[in-house]
Amino acid sequence: MNQPMPLAMVSPGGVVQVVDVRAGWGLQRRLADMGLTPGVTIRVMNSQRPGPIIVDLRGSRLVLGYGMTQRILVRKV
Amino acid sequence: MAKEITIALAGNPNSGKTTVFNNLTGARQHVGNWPGVTVEKKEGSCSYNGYSIRVVDLPGVYSLTAYSPDEVIARNFILEEKPDVVVDIVDASNLERNLYLALQLLEMGAWVIVALNMMDEADSRNHRIDVAGLSHLLGTPVVPMVANRNRGTVELFDEIVKVAENKAQVKGLKVEYGREVEEEISKLEKLISQSELSSKYSPRWLAVKLLERDEEIIKKFREVEHG
Repeated sequence: MNQPMPLAMVSPGGVVQVVDVRAGWGLQRRLADMGLTPGVTIRVMNSQRPGPIIVDLRGSRLVLGYGMTQRILVRKV
Repeated sequence: MAKEITIALAGNPNSGKTTVFNNLTGARQHVGNWPGVTVEKKEGSCSYNGYSIRVVDLPGVYSLTAYSPDEVIARNFILEEKPDVVVDIVDASNLERNLYLALQLLEMGAWVIVALNMMDEADSRNHRIDVAGLSHLLGTPVVPMVANRNRGTVELFDEIVKVAENKAQVKGLKVEYGREVEEEISKLEKLISQSELSSKYSPRWLAVKLLERDEEIIKKFREVEHG
């Protein structure tokens, strides 16, 4: 039941764990620099098409473009 | 004659670098631009205990990859000008993210002092920080501060002078990447030690950057190998 899904599909308030970042090397690296790495737990604060999406991550907020959040796979915790 | 020390202030955006800068330099700072890029660089000077200290405020960055001009500027200043001390201003209320930059600075071989800023904010969030333990783990001096109330400035000055006089004070944590990656790093390090770049930069750091496919570093290698 707990299948990975894109971060874009998570509603505000949802707490999820990052499973994978399906992106090119550059974006993977950049997101990792910002603390968004597989295994980290994040909370979606605001999610509205067409974005941006705000997540709470390691004690700080990160603003992500909608396109990016479609490539970030997460699982509900 | 006063001994000269050059220090750089590094840190994440909003960690209080400019406040620390103002505390250190008083009213004597002037504002300039880095050549070729539209990022502000502040430079000031001050004297302390007979030392003449040049303070360079670098752009706020989360990381030292070659991702944005700010990062390249901060990184190049540290790599090329090799300041005597790099003061990494860390938001104590958000340690986890901030320490990532500290590790990157140490990996570059900079002489780092961690200024643990906003200690009052950390206290009010009930974060208890073991300053001595952190200093031991990182292998760097750690100075707790509340920069907007000018607390910790004298202690920071003292550490700056101590490190500038004896760089061996910064042992610096070496990040271990696990057996597989370490094997590749040593292979690359051996090759890199034959390159002229190794006299200027830490071979281990260069090896890590090549594995990360860092464009700036790949370019540097192309330049020295092919002229």
